Amino acid sequence: MTSAAKTSDPPVEPIARSQASEPTTIAYEDQTPMRFVAASAVWGIVGMLVGVIVALQLAWAPANIHATLGFGRLRPLHTNAVIFAFVGNMIFAGIYHSTQRLVKARTASDLLSKIHFWGWQLIIVAAAVTLPLGMTQGKEYAELEWPIDLAITAVWVVFAINFFWTLARRTEKHLYVAIWFYIATIVTVAILHVVNSLAIPVLGGTLKSYSVYGGAQDALVQWWYGHNAVAFFLTTPVLGIMYYYLPKAAGRPVYSYRLSIIHFWALIFIYIWAGPHHLLNTALPDWAQTLGMIFSLMLWAPSWGGMLNGLLTLRGGWSKLREEPVLKFFAAGVTFYGMATFEGPLLSIKSVSSLAHYTDWIIGHVHAGALGWNGFMAAGMFYWLVPALSGRPLYSKRLADAHFWLGTVGILLYIVAMWVSGVNQGMMWRATNPDGSLMYPTFVETLIAIKPMYWMRLIGGSMYLVGMLMMTYNLARTGLWSKVVETRVKVVPLAPAPEVPWKDVIFSRPIVLTIVVLGLGGAGMAANMFAGPLFFAIAFFVALFGMVAFQHARKAGGPPFHRILEGRALLFTVLSALAVLAGGVAEIVPALVVKPVEAANAKPYSPLEVEGRDVFIAEGCYTCHSQMIRPMRFETVRYGDPSTLEESAFDHPFQWGSKRTGPDLAREGGKYPNLWHYRHMVDPRAITPGSNMPPYAHLENERLDLARTGDKMRALSKVGVPYTEAQMAAAETNAREQGRAIAEDLAKEGAHVEPDTQMVAVIAYLQRLGKPPAEKKDVGEGVSMQEGAK
Amino acid sequence: MKANKTSETSEAADQVIHEVDGIQEYDNKLPNWWLYTFYGAIAFGVGYWYWYESAQIGASPAQSYQAELDQAAAAQASEITVGEATPEALAALAKDPSAVALGKQVFTSTCAACHRNDGGGSVGPNLTDEFWLHGGAPEKIFRTIASGVPDKGMPAWQPQLGALKTQAVTAYVLGLKGTNVAGGKVPQGERESVSSR
Repeated sequence: MTSAAKTSDPPVEPIARSQASEPTTIAYEDQTPMRFVAASAVWGIVGMLVGVIVALQLAWAPANIHATLGFGRLRPLHTNAVIFAFVGNMIFAGIYHSTQRLVKARTASDLLSKIHFWGWQLIIVAAAVTLPLGMTQGKEYAELEWPIDLAITAVWVVFAINFFWTLARRTEKHLYVAIWFYIATIVTVAILHVVNSLAIPVLGGTLKSYSVYGGAQDALVQWWYGHNAVAFFLTTPVLGIMYYYLPKAAGRPVYSYRLSIIHFWALIFIYIWAGPHHLLNTALPDWAQTLGMIFSLMLWAPSWGGMLNGLLTLRGGWSKLREEPVLKFFAAGVTFYGMATFEGPLLSIKSVSSLAHYTDWIIGHVHAGALGWNGFMAAGMFYWLVPALSGRPLYSKRLADAHFWLGTVGILLYIVAMWVSGVNQGMMWRATNPDGSLMYPTFVETLIAIKPMYWMRLIGGSMYLVGMLMMTYNLARTGLWSKVVETRVKVVPLAPAPEVPWKDVIFSRPIVLTIVVLGLGGAGMAANMFAGPLFFAIAFFVALFGMVAFQHARKAGGPPFHRILEGRALLFTVLSALAVLAGGVAEIVPALVVKPVEAANAKPYSPLEVEGRDVFIAEGCYTCHSQMIRPMRFETVRYGDPSTLEESAFDHPFQWGSKRTGPDLAREGGKYPNLWHYRHMVDPRAITPGSNMPPYAHLENERLDLARTGDKMRALSKVGVPYTEAQMAAAETNAREQGRAIAEDLAKEGAHVEPDTQMVAVIAYLQRLGKPPAEKKDVGEGVSMQEGAK
Repeated sequence: MKANKTSETSEAADQVIHEVDGIQEYDNKLPNWWLYTFYGAIAFGVGYWYWYESAQIGASPAQSYQAELDQAAAAQASEITVGEATPEALAALAKDPSAVALGKQVFTSTCAACHRNDGGGSVGPNLTDEFWLHGGAPEKIFRTIASGVPDKGMPAWQPQLGALKTQAVTAYVLGLKGTNVAGGKVPQGERESVSSR
């Protein structure tokens, strides 16, 4: 603890209120990290088991055995369980364990730790109950309804208090790079969750709510959230964990401090801009799409900075890799991270996206990240942590080794299957004959062609799940449930001492420079968006390298700038929050303040259509059906004219979708008779042999509560759908009338359905999609909104 | 960034500069290829933005779509392999086994969902009886298939199938007329005798 840098640092500040500077002994609180490890392992198995089930359902439709266990309801359960239950508990374990050691202080409050742990598990249980019941906000990875959203916010605040309170009591002045990543995670996830989940509940004690955002606005906010959930929930905290556990396990110094500075700031600043790459070639204004694409490309190097620092730290330790399962998992995990973060920017190129979007390639990409990076980093950490906390050696290294190889082969089978399937189907969708007609006009042909890949994915995923079971068994035998061995350390409380004034830090050259150039960039962008990104890029570049230059300019004899910043937790937090907010504000605020002119011509849904839309969302239809026809001929020949912003203006939430396991539905209205939809939902394979759609016969028996439709419309009117008082008052009558007309039409053809059933409502909704685009519109017209958004 | 430019000898590699909880940190220089990747991506991003958004030299998505449509229209205009769908031509096709075989293939993959594999009808009408909703003459059947009957849920197929397959499937349907398969849907529309044209 007598490094050169330390002695050259200025005297320290009195953050820890203690006046004494004699050594004292503290004991770390390690029961909480151990609990989180156990929860992560158990929920990981649950989440991945659901993953295997949904993979089976896609390959073999009869596996949709019950309405509550159909693909559309289980898929959100799978994604939420893996992201928030498996990885969530894993990062909490790592953060609670490593932070205490990195700041040399016991976690501030045992009570808050307990509230955090149990609160989070309750939220997971609530999710596991409500999602299969069809209670959903219909926004990917943010499906949970508003009471659970509030609980998440509360638990996250408890976590933040506990974490920052611990930092305030630290006896290690400087924050290590892992802590920077934890800070960015806690701040950003809070912002993302709150902004994206804003919704108006339907009055009268229901769980139902409608997002305050609609159409393109919702698309932008949702993917700003969705993409950055990947960034700040699945990436940054795990990078922090890598920076602690990888050098620990390898016994090697971290390769480069300055690389960690640059890639940290670059990553958090750039990541937040990249969200619109989920919306390439859609109706989203082009400027936002372009920002999403170019910032995704810029993200490549900062992401690889993390991979390099991980892999190069293992230099000279490769021999240990052969016998140490922990290092095997870390090395492979970091390599998968590198692979996924190369693939990400590649997929963000508009032309690549035109092929890959809506296909299984994207599914393969996220699983390279989730199984390869998150899953393997979790395994490496657990195999290191459980022996360390229980004080017992790992039960079986050979079993861990077997887990590694089974998992690796499983991941490779999985992602190769999805690459083949995605590229294959994407090519089939766009294949045209010389006369311009589609080579595969029937959507299901393109699904049948990739079915073998669905079986291969199922095998790969199952292998990975078996690996997880082996890991959990191994950890349990090691001492997952045992009491932790107490670790006591001697610490010297930080003595009160003069501090570099915060103003000097805030107004230091790197920050002033950044703010001035970013300000110029912002002004330029607001003016005519000519110079904006140019300045942003220059500012960014100047700031980053300025930071390193200042870091190494020791002429004045004082400590380098970033080292000072590392001693100031609050300042560090504020600056990282600003770095994150810059991109969000620049992209989302313009979309929120510009009144969407195109909504003037849009007509809201009828009461029965509102009910049908709720059924559509509750059943998770959006997990397989997009409602966004991209302006490409092979799409418009198949589905109709390109979707316009106007058509989804009143969609709270938007339903553009992200995956086409079935065809796009944006212009489904009027394409087929009511009877077709009825028969197709009762037994999809009777109409479309080879389809893997779950049957929805149960909708025939589910009655609507039409007395409540008016309340729903009232909630929708609060978020901006222009229903009149009269329309809301007559909701029930109107819905019954429309339902009766559809039921009569079906009866004429011999199908007898009650008019107030979910079946009738969802048919009403489907027949409305894409209708009316009252007047046929010119292709160029979509551009006018973009001018407005500038 | 002077440190970066100097050779490795002046800045010793692998020097421990900090240590916390037993973790040591080196301060090795950034790999050049990594830096160039980063610079390159930023430069590309700026250039791309200038090209497509600021100066709008590159085609916007709407423009490229329009260009694609124009190109397809031009290609279709020059396409001469498929003849006009006259009643005579369709009647001749109905006697051409290769056209009927192609039509059957299209029918099975595209039409059978609503009209049943044997044409007996389910969601859509029976095609094997003598009753026709939109006319049973060859050119009328062709028109129904090609342009659809949107009000009744019959999609327009020619844009998706192309002229050749649309004519072929018409030829196949002409052959179904009057086969009166068992278990077919109840008659709909007007009676037309099988021989009538």
